[in-house]
Amino acid sequence: MPENGFRLLPLDDDSWRLEAYLRRGGYETARKVLTSMAPEAVIAEVRKASLRGRGGAGFPAGVKWGFVPKGVSGPKYLCVNSDEAEPGTFKDRLVLLRAPHQLLEGMLITAFAVGIRTAFIYVRGEYALVARRLEEAIVEARSAGYIGPRLFGTDLSLDVVVHLGAGAYICGEETALLESLEGRRGMPRVRPPFPAVVGLFRSPTVINNVETLATVPQILARGADSFLSRGLPKDGGTRLYCVSGAVRRPGTYELAVGTPLREIIEVHAGGTPEGKGLKAVIPGGLSAPVLLPGEIDIPMDVDSLARAGSMLGSAGIVVIPEGTPMLDVLHATARFYAHESCGKCTPCRIGTSWILKIVGRLRRDGGRPADFDLILRLADGIKGKTLCPLGEGAAMPIQALVTKFRGELERAVAR
Amino acid sequence: MNGKKPVGLTIDGLKVQAAEGTNVLRAAEQAGVTIPHFCFHAGLDVEGSCRMCLVEIEGLPKLELACSTIIREGMIVRTSTDRVREARKDVLEFLLAEHPLDCPICDKAGECRLQDYYDLHGLYASRMVEPRERRDKKVPIGRGLILDRERCVLCTRCVRFLRLVTGTGELGMFERSLRSEVGIYDGRPVDNNYSGNLVDICPVGAITAEDFRFKTRAWFLVRRPSICPHCSRGCAVIIESVEGYPLRRSEKRVYRVTARENPAVNGFWICDVGRDGRHDIDDGRHAAVSEKGAPVQGLSWEKALAGVAAAIRSVPGPERAGKIAVVLNARLTCEELALAKGLFVTGLGLDKVFFADRKPGPADSLLLTSDRVPNAKGVRDAGFTPRLPALGELAGAEVLLVFGSYILEHFGEEDVARALAGVPSKYLFAAHTGPLDRLVDAVFPVAHPAEKSGTYINTEGVRQSFARAVRPCPAVVAEGAILACLANSLGISLGDADVR
Amino acid sequence: MSYAPAPAALRKIEETIALYPEKSAALLPVLHIIQEGSGFISPEAESWAAAKLGILPVRVREVVSFYTMFRRAPAGRSTLQVCHNVSCALAGAEDILRFISEKLGIAPGETTPDGAISLVTVECLGHCDNAPCLQFDGVDHGPATRESVAALIEELKAHA
Repeated sequence: MPENGFRLLPLDDDSWRLEAYLRRGGYETARKVLTSMAPEAVIAEVRKASLRGRGGAGFPAGVKWGFVPKGVSGPKYLCVNSDEAEPGTFKDRLVLLRAPHQLLEGMLITAFAVGIRTAFIYVRGEYALVARRLEEAIVEARSAGYIGPRLFGTDLSLDVVVHLGAGAYICGEETALLESLEGRRGMPRVRPPFPAVVGLFRSPTVINNVETLATVPQILARGADSFLSRGLPKDGGTRLYCVSGAVRRPGTYELAVGTPLREIIEVHAGGTPEGKGLKAVIPGGLSAPVLLPGEIDIPMDVDSLARAGSMLGSAGIVVIPEGTPMLDVLHATARFYAHESCGKCTPCRIGTSWILKIVGRLRRDGGRPADFDLILRLADGIKGKTLCPLGEGAAMPIQALVTKFRGELERAVAR
Repeated sequence: MNGKKPVGLTIDGLKVQAAEGTNVLRAAEQAGVTIPHFCFHAGLDVEGSCRMCLVEIEGLPKLELACSTIIREGMIVRTSTDRVREARKDVLEFLLAEHPLDCPICDKAGECRLQDYYDLHGLYASRMVEPRERRDKKVPIGRGLILDRERCVLCTRCVRFLRLVTGTGELGMFERSLRSEVGIYDGRPVDNNYSGNLVDICPVGAITAEDFRFKTRAWFLVRRPSICPHCSRGCAVIIESVEGYPLRRSEKRVYRVTARENPAVNGFWICDVGRDGRHDIDDGRHAAVSEKGAPVQGLSWEKALAGVAAAIRSVPGPERAGKIAVVLNARLTCEELALAKGLFVTGLGLDKVFFADRKPGPADSLLLTSDRVPNAKGVRDAGFTPRLPALGELAGAEVLLVFGSYILEHFGEEDVARALAGVPSKYLFAAHTGPLDRLVDAVFPVAHPAEKSGTYINTEGVRQSFARAVRPCPAVVAEGAILACLANSLGISLGDADVR
Repeated sequence: MSYAPAPAALRKIEETIALYPEKSAALLPVLHIIQEGSGFISPEAESWAAAKLGILPVRVREVVSFYTMFRRAPAGRSTLQVCHNVSCALAGAEDILRFISEKLGIAPGETTPDGAISLVTVECLGHCDNAPCLQFDGVDHGPATRESVAALIEELKAHA
């Protein structure tokens, strides 16, 4: 239990209902905010709390909300990004299953802060059954007046629509999500203009990850300082870390931001099973460059991982045990990005498939060191030139695997 | 600058001024700096997907797209640094890795951006040894257009053109990742009057026209500007012909008519009516003076014209007004109309000066006007009040001069034959052969507008001068020369004719 | 052969369209409803959806062909979607895939001759703490073992 007494994720599967949520003080924060605070004060508090986006980019939420132009007429939208598809990540699923009302309350507060009356929750299509519980929670909230018109007796209102995706990792990228919400192929948009100014249906739009929004109530409930009593000054609070792979207790762990990676793996997830050593760890979903055993004494916060040449990303920790052929990991990685590339921009469309073709050939027929040089070079060709971050998301982990396991990879393909 | 505030920036050390709201790519173009690109087109929306136009902008850490970055005061742009060159090479290498080596059989060779950019920005040895994606290479997509999916670089210019300009949206982008491909919906091919522009805007040989496939090579073509004569929009066109070294000995000289940019008239596009009109330049042409329906080799038009002058002279002066009839048309240039006015109205004092033209057709919402003549405004500007004659008015004449065979669009051939039967001296000045040929005494082979110089006034009153774009066959003569020569023979001075 | 949704589905479609400020934005949910009813999205259904939302059929095909969850041809009554991404691969997904393939006699991408079960490989399903995992009819099944999968296949065949 986090020291500040606030837990995002209930540990059981039954506390998600409205009546249980109300018993733990649910919606009281939203009531306080909507009836007695000014929107600017809400944004200021969230900014002060250093709440960084929990979807993958780690952008400060309060700063993002501040980009929405003031005094502009016409609708504004809130999009909840629940397209969780970064391999190794499964925390947003749990937020939807166990804390849907936390999410809704966070949405109420966020919508109030920015002046929004309509919200869309974009849930990946594979979570259709998960979305059913979310819909049930919305029905509960609507019946009790927590969603809809005249919130808490004010003139404020919030409509919520759940929108299912249909199988495209790229729709986790903000502007691709907007395209998908508008009924089109999920292809990123040219920026500028940014969504805060021209977003959904050409209106100012805030897009935030599920966990980010579900974390908002606790900041307004106890204040930014209390939130910052856990975590780091520039990356506050607690967050959900996913652990999978070769560990005794795979699962989701709600811990202070900055908890060392080694502690998460060994203490919380029980370490690797008997007799299995650690070979590598992916710290933040597949797009995060791999870390070697000697590199896991690192605080799990956005800035520390960036400094180490990797990223916290979606906090999807994958533990790779000794004995795993890294050529297979490289292949699964290359295959993922080639499959998920939307195809719009040249370097990603062609580069990801070219790399996959090379790796596939290496696995099948073997190859030479020069093949790995070419992979590194192609990844460089993708980096910094694509329309969206999927380019870097593909290039960087591939480069890390090839660089850090070069010897093993060369031996594996030598014939 | 069209009332827009000018913005100052620096591009490759050059101080440049461009209108507010211009993107870096266009501002550079205006300053003479070419930034390579595929997906950008000034007539379409910004796509930002080819990534070829990446440039360095001082103060920004990553390379930025020139097509989507709007200029700002004091911006410093660099288009030729090592980083930019490397980026272009990378993008090219990616494109060419999945591009077939079709150059020897591809129509676009010689005017292909991939080729041009490889020469300028590539020149690397290919490292692609993996099997390329194999795709359909000859997909008919409608209106005589063929799509080669292996060559397509997915710039989406074609898709966006049909969505934004014609609003017909026939092409779509299907699948995802490297399997992405352009195509039509079953049973709904491209079907609009602007389909030919797709070939113009495709930066590679992915979309080609059946009409042009395998017929010649771009480097054999001489490209000269002209004005389309098929309606009164007066779109700027380029006539592309082969001179001097034909691949096949044939009478066909013009292989293609393509769009020329003119912001004041047609923007970036032309319609298929104008494009298909290229056949008009070569097909069914009179190549010699003919008498009684048969060409007379070796008879020059000057010699034949002496007979026309003699016929006119044989009508006594005071009777000319009622006994000499002339039918003109609105394909004549302003200069020729002025000559005609000076000769027939002022000089000979004729009453019976009529006009017969192509009938109007349906206009579309873009460029094509319902008037299917290029110089209707020019006719009025010359002081004429154009009127179609009644056949009786022609029948009673002693001398009849008909410019163009358009009278047959308004009256049946038998009725015209009957009317002309009683006219003692009748002459036709026409570019194309037709039923009227054997109903007259002599036919003079005249020029197609592409073969002459002059001025047209379009439907909005824009005056456009054009120069000869294609050399006519030796016997062919412009109407202007005929009118001047005739006036000369008749001793009529055209010094007062206002030839603007 | 033209397409028309069942009355209940049509009602759901119309209610869904009403939730969006622009009709065409409802395309993905409408396609889900159509696929739920027919098992796949036929060209006739594409035309129907296009007319209903005021867009060209080609725009519908663009979307159907982009997203992996939309099927353009009938599949088995149930589709076994086996994840082969990293966490599941580490937990033995390749073996599970081979096992299913042998048991059903089909390769990934194919459907059993009796039309009961299709097998496909998919990317991360967001269930990595239960690797190796697969999904069928929207239900997540993991950690999958040869035994659990064998039992699942029997159950699916029984209800086919």
